[in-house]
Amino acid sequence: MGNKNSKSPLILEVKGNSLDDGPGIRSVVFFKGCPLSCVWCHNPESKKVAAEISFDAGRCINCGACREACPEGALSPANPYYIDRKKCTLCFLCADACPSGAIDRVGRTMSVKDILVKIMPDKPFFDTSGGGVTLSGGEPGLFMEFTSRLLVALKRNAIHTLIETCGFFNLDRFMKMLYPHLDMIYFDIKMLDRDDHVSYCGLPNDIILDNFMELNRAAKQDGKKLLPRTPLIPGITDTAENIRSIAAFLKKQKVDEAALLAYNPLWHEKSVKVGADDPYKSDRAMTAFAEHGVLERCKALFAETGIRC
Amino acid sequence: MQKERKGAANTLTNLFLKFFAANFNMRPSLRRYLKSDDGWLNFSIGVKTESGSVAQALAFENGKVRVLKTIPGTLDAEIEFVDEKSLGEAAVAAPNRLMIAMMENRIVTRGNLCYPLLINFYLSLLFKPLQIAKLKREARSEKRNYDQEAASKKSIESRALPQLSARRIDPGVKFLTDPYLPEYTLNDFPRLKDFLDIHLGTRAAICHERPEILTRWYRENGFENDKNSEPWIAELRQANAFKYLMENRKPIIRTNDLVAGTTTTKEIGVVLYPDAHGTMIWGELMTVPYRPLNPYDVDPESIEILHNRVFPFWMKRNFREWVRDNRGYPICQKIDERFAACFLWKTVALSHTILNYPKVLKLGTKGIIGEIEREIKSTPTSNRKKRDTLQAMKISLEGINAYAKNLSGEAARLAQRESNPVRKNELIRLADICGRVPENPCVTLDDAVNAMWIVWVGVHMENTNAGFSLGRLDQWLQPYFAADMKKLKNTHEKEEYIRHAIELIGCFYLRCTDHLPLIPDIGNYLFGGSSSDQAITLGGVTPKGGDAVNDMTYIFLKVTEMLSIRDPNVNARYNRKKNSDAYLKRLCEVNLNTTATPSIHNDEAVMASLAEFRYPAGHLRDWSATGCVEPTLSGRHIGHTNCMMFNMVAALEMALYNGRHPLMRWDLGPKTGDIRAGDFRDYESFFKAFARQLRFLADQTCEYNNLLGEAHQAIRPTPYISALIEGPIKRGRDVTRGGALYNSSGTACIGLADITDSLMAIKKLVFDEKKVSFVELLDAVSTNFKDSPALLAMIKNRVPVFGSGNEEALATANRITKLAHDIFREHTNYRGGPYTAGFWSMSNHVAFGSMTGALPSGRLAGKAFTPGLTPEAHASKNILDNLRDVAKLEQKNMNNNIAFNVKVVPAAHDTHEKTVENIYSYAKTYADLGGMQMQLNVVSSRTLRDAMEHPENYQNLLVRISGYNAYFVTLNREMQIELIERAEFGM
Repeated sequence: MGNKNSKSPLILEVKGNSLDDGPGIRSVVFFKGCPLSCVWCHNPESKKVAAEISFDAGRCINCGACREACPEGALSPANPYYIDRKKCTLCFLCADACPSGAIDRVGRTMSVKDILVKIMPDKPFFDTSGGGVTLSGGEPGLFMEFTSRLLVALKRNAIHTLIETCGFFNLDRFMKMLYPHLDMIYFDIKMLDRDDHVSYCGLPNDIILDNFMELNRAAKQDGKKLLPRTPLIPGITDTAENIRSIAAFLKKQKVDEAALLAYNPLWHEKSVKVGADDPYKSDRAMTAFAEHGVLERCKALFAETGIRC
Repeated sequence: MQKERKGAANTLTNLFLKFFAANFNMRPSLRRYLKSDDGWLNFSIGVKTESGSVAQALAFENGKVRVLKTIPGTLDAEIEFVDEKSLGEAAVAAPNRLMIAMMENRIVTRGNLCYPLLINFYLSLLFKPLQIAKLKREARSEKRNYDQEAASKKSIESRALPQLSARRIDPGVKFLTDPYLPEYTLNDFPRLKDFLDIHLGTRAAICHERPEILTRWYRENGFENDKNSEPWIAELRQANAFKYLMENRKPIIRTNDLVAGTTTTKEIGVVLYPDAHGTMIWGELMTVPYRPLNPYDVDPESIEILHNRVFPFWMKRNFREWVRDNRGYPICQKIDERFAACFLWKTVALSHTILNYPKVLKLGTKGIIGEIEREIKSTPTSNRKKRDTLQAMKISLEGINAYAKNLSGEAARLAQRESNPVRKNELIRLADICGRVPENPCVTLDDAVNAMWIVWVGVHMENTNAGFSLGRLDQWLQPYFAADMKKLKNTHEKEEYIRHAIELIGCFYLRCTDHLPLIPDIGNYLFGGSSSDQAITLGGVTPKGGDAVNDMTYIFLKVTEMLSIRDPNVNARYNRKKNSDAYLKRLCEVNLNTTATPSIHNDEAVMASLAEFRYPAGHLRDWSATGCVEPTLSGRHIGHTNCMMFNMVAALEMALYNGRHPLMRWDLGPKTGDIRAGDFRDYESFFKAFARQLRFLADQTCEYNNLLGEAHQAIRPTPYISALIEGPIKRGRDVTRGGALYNSSGTACIGLADITDSLMAIKKLVFDEKKVSFVELLDAVSTNFKDSPALLAMIKNRVPVFGSGNEEALATANRITKLAHDIFREHTNYRGGPYTAGFWSMSNHVAFGSMTGALPSGRLAGKAFTPGLTPEAHASKNILDNLRDVAKLEQKNMNNNIAFNVKVVPAAHDTHEKTVENIYSYAKTYADLGGMQMQLNVVSSRTLRDAMEHPENYQNLLVRISGYNAYFVTLNREMQIELIERAEFGM
């Protein structure tokens, strides 16, 4: 875990002015690549470690420049996702030729310095608002060395740091390389049932829960904020049973605050752009915004155990 | 073929004109309008098409109308149509349409502008039912015809404002326990609620009082020459006329008001200034109640008075016509009258200044008259000009005193009849107050507020009500508030008094809404929804440099929040070094609760932008916003800070077309190079061409501004405001002649982002990356990108633009502001002062945009420019890129301030406090980075779209245009769309 990715990750985006990924005004660095493969992943383009190519039909003006540029004949309106990814060699000549930005490279190499150059102009906004930088993804924990170097550089610039993690990482390396440079940790706990976790997220959750327990102990001791978060996926994670179990688990760890995230269906469009299969594209619950009341109902279940959210 | 068509149109026109002439010659009900109180209206006017296919004239002589088959050598005016289609449309179109066609350059007028307007009036007499039916249809299809009164009630009832609390933090706050005053709501002030309902629910009416009384005096006493046929000293003439006006105006006290006096006899009056642009409404007199946008009521009596007595007298006695007749109808005037390159505000007003109100409150007019008399005494009789000028100032002040006395009498009369004992006492008090002030020094806050208002009424009786500003009212009223508070003993009394102070200031705000500037329908497109823009300035630092935030600052903010009205236009100075975070947070909260006010100025940045003038620190620290945003050194400075709206994009178009302006179809500018001939080998050579065109237009507009300045000196010098500003008494010179201590003229340079992005596209795609040839780009631009979608897409996606965080684009924007600043700095105005460069646009980014073709930036033909210097909506999804880029523009090039619009939408799941915190973080950091000014719209495009569909639910939806506030429902369609299309940043 993690070792195979000792080289630099690809970065999807450095997004400024985020107001929902931690305190204050923040920049969010999205890493590409995740050990889990949750079926509802909000950033489906972040699942694979390798670079990908995306096509946005809404932006395409059908000028044909990309088809002329492609040496493989991989592009055609007749293809289901426009790009035939079996033929595509990811040379990106089409993306260079595209005037509208409909075809784009997903994932770019960025050095720690590149990222800092992008982030630093917004530092005055972090300082006024009590914000900072959030590492997200994908899973930043998949790239321990790079993430560590990035965190060190951020701290050297006196920037508040926060990681959003799926919890599946090598704990020793995490504690040694990331933890000391983190001000806050947002830790996803999606499902408590092991088998469900395997079938929806691709891997068992033992490591995740163990990591949480360890991290919780350390964070309590060090006075660091560790916030467990559960995305409310219709019929999958938002069942009363799952929410009750998570609440009970957290209660046992003496956690007093958690976050519940309302479901957002916008990932379906992103799925199409990278040509990924989407088994839920016709599912009514999964393609609509969260029903009113789901969040309140789940919050109430948490409240029963005395956990704030 | 060509010849036949020519003949047909000419024949039709001839028939039409004959029909027109016959009606006026034969029908007494029409014929009587050929006459004024001064006799028959004799003039001739040509009607032609650009190609010459139609060319005829109408001659009006001694009550007879004749059609001339050829255009005679001398004419009073001429109307030229771009083609026969436009001519055909104009014949039966409503009068407002003719004006719009002028703006769109489908009609060009030459000669005295009043004659086409008079013809317009005649046409509406003939075709009134047809025109009204057309206007009504238009209003229906635009959904403008809802019940304004019901909508007003609804909008007031639906207001509920969450509000934070604050501890007393600012050292200047001495009396308020919680300066945010969260304990009060509009429901605590039934009087204000009633007045607000009147404001939102009443249709404005044309008021003829001012022009009628003044014209009466001038007829009696002469204008050019006095009764003895001696040439008038213009200052003395104006002073005597003003005094007569003030003595003879009706003294009115609105039912239940705490502030006495009005600028009009109507509940909401459109005050007319025929010595300026008043005659512009002549053509619309019959139809103005039916126009879809901002209709006015007009009494039949007013139509008779204006047509018979007023307008004919002023046809040649206004600023435009003075220049035409006395300065040879120069090119610069012709450019202005084509609307596409500039709008010169001196055709309307020499306004946009702030008087020395604290002085008149402290000394009373009596004190100032004493000063004038001492100055007269020490002036040798040989210096006739100075003595006359001083005498004129004294007469003017006597005029305002007379008006106050009349108000006092009226209050006493009303008190006698009043049965309600509470109101009776209020009226008795008003009788007492108006009996003392503004003649004597003010003692109480009630004195000061009433004196302010009476002086303010005087300002608008002498000068056009466009952009005169009130200044630092929190600073100037605090001493009277404090003095009153100190007299009170117990907590209850103090609480009651604070409540009274809020109500009194609320009454003052709503008094300021009693008048509207005259907006002929063309103005609905040029300056949509604008009121008088009476700017109030709060906060900042004291003349000595200390924290200026005080009790009254917060009382004004409370009133601003509760009323949420467009005018007064509230501006707040935020001084990073001296003002508290609590104050800035409150500014953000009021913006959130009102959706659009106050505008926030970075105090130090605005002062830094004026460094080149080396104003003494104490005077500089006393600056206030004027009209929209522009700095005036309060009480000492005639800065006519909105002397012109200057379309910088016209210069870019002229550079693209080798000096030709495409819409005006006019080879106007210097020949700076032909793109098709390959004249531009590099980007720099094109930038130089742009710079030359810009310089040409600036030369022209400055020339016209200076000529109009002379027209003001001749037609309307202003002894009254001269007496109330530092400089003219000592110098014995009227402010129109440079008597004020400081003199300047301020411009509004429009289109910064559009030009920056266009130049970046040319630089990147044509010269740096050679993706497209300059000719190809020009072809695409001149065909509105119709056949070049790929190029358009490439421009939008590949060219780094202003507001995206790109250094090169930012440098280009800085280069353009510097160019504009330096070019205007080369000029000296007619008062001996410099020109300043501002980057805001009122609403002219929409109007000028509608008169501009496609641009290399990918902006399509006719679309609005960005407001002020706001980046293009697609520049960045990240608001911080916008904020950073604008903050990094060099202040020293923007010495007439900027207007930077930020549209933010609070997240539904955030608390009120979190939203305020977010806005605060943006505003604070923007100021930290050096940004000069920002103005918020806290509203979503979705809401705005709904308001377009259902205006009846949004009567008081306040929006910030570029510098001023307006009600969204009063805006023209193009402006509504521009607001909707602005970048929207979620929070």
